[in-house]
Amino acid sequence: MSGPGLVLDAGSKMRSAASEEAALEDLHRLGCTDGLPVIIPTVSRVDRMVLAGGMGPDLSLGTIGPLDGSATVRSVAICAVMAGCRPDYFPVVLAAVSALCDPVLDIGEVQVTTHNAGPMIVVNGPARYDCGPFESGTGALGPGNQANASVGRAIRLCLLNIGGARPGIADMALTGQPAKFTFCLAEAEEDSPFPPLHVRLGYDAGQSVVTLLTAEAPRSLFCQVTEDVADCSDRLLRQLGEAVASRASNNGSWGIGEAAIILNPEHAQVLARAGLNLSDVAQQVSAFSMKPRRQLHGPAYPPGLDLDVLIGLAPEQLLIMVAGGGGVYSMVVNSWGGGVHQNRHVCAEVSYGASCEVPRPLR
Amino acid sequence: MSDVIDFAQVELPAVALVTEKFADEAIFVARARGMPDAPWLQLPHPVAGIGDPAMRALATDLVPRLIASFRGAR
Repeated sequence: MSGPGLVLDAGSKMRSAASEEAALEDLHRLGCTDGLPVIIPTVSRVDRMVLAGGMGPDLSLGTIGPLDGSATVRSVAICAVMAGCRPDYFPVVLAAVSALCDPVLDIGEVQVTTHNAGPMIVVNGPARYDCGPFESGTGALGPGNQANASVGRAIRLCLLNIGGARPGIADMALTGQPAKFTFCLAEAEEDSPFPPLHVRLGYDAGQSVVTLLTAEAPRSLFCQVTEDVADCSDRLLRQLGEAVASRASNNGSWGIGEAAIILNPEHAQVLARAGLNLSDVAQQVSAFSMKPRRQLHGPAYPPGLDLDVLIGLAPEQLLIMVAGGGGVYSMVVNSWGGGVHQNRHVCAEVSYGASCEVPRPLR
Repeated sequence: MSDVIDFAQVELPAVALVTEKFADEAIFVARARGMPDAPWLQLPHPVAGIGDPAMRALATDLVPRLIASFRGAR
């Protein structure tokens, strides 16, 4: 992706092409795509997307670094069209971009770091259906889920085209990662014995919320479920502690940032049957994550530090949710932890309703 | 480079130290943030992990350039 790029903002110039095929090649050449074909953002498609957001096209949701481009509703709509979003999804995209622009996420730093972090988007509340459907069950992070795939991709295209994160020029991630194409799922609230993520983060269950964490690619965690609930929950908690603070990750090496835990519904049930609530789970996972610095870094590096200090993640550094199909695998998602705010998670409420062009579907 | 621009905006002198692999990024950020002439000096890459002797040699070379840059040399 070596093109000079196209800054998408309220002042973007209109481009023309002889055909959609020619327009696609033009967008590839300009470096405006993620390398895959995009839907051409024609005026009518973008206008329909803007309408579905219920906000004025020139309203800016904030700026996205390192370019500090203004994320206007129109520029975000262009990216959403290109990503293949249906207009129904657009309120979720707008909420995610609002979160993206929150300084706490440190997105400007995230974009330019040599680490591979990219935003993971978790959708909670009624918008999972009303603005989707977003997949929360089997394969939620896999292919074939239009809302998950296109919303995550829209955010990536915003990062490229509004934030200017061209790989090798401003996105300095050493290898990149597949989740930099798209990384979006919904929580399986109905399959969870625990309160959903957004409720634990201070919202009401009836609110629709996106939570963003700039993260590495997710990793599998194995734990066979058995009838011995106490044994099974203990094994699972130990595995989670090991995984969230893998000594190879920034989280585990330095105790910085946050990690997300995506429990599959069976694993969540095991913990609930063991009498644990999510506060208990976080406390115990945190305890199992702690290791003496001596064990993490050895005696020589870095010099001058107390090698007996325990390094790991505190309970409040763990974001726990339920998603995926039931079985022996859950997922753990580490993060970068750099930036002024350690690129902590950010939430934003999804706003939709009467002003939206797309009617709310019957449940 | 962003830090240099932040400092400049509050009228504090600053010079960015950028290794050669990040030179394109430095130029991009300086232009993007509207300060294409923000001062920066290029260093060899990498700097981290090169050991004390190499680091001292690098600093010995760098300090006069840094002082000159603060004094306005381009």
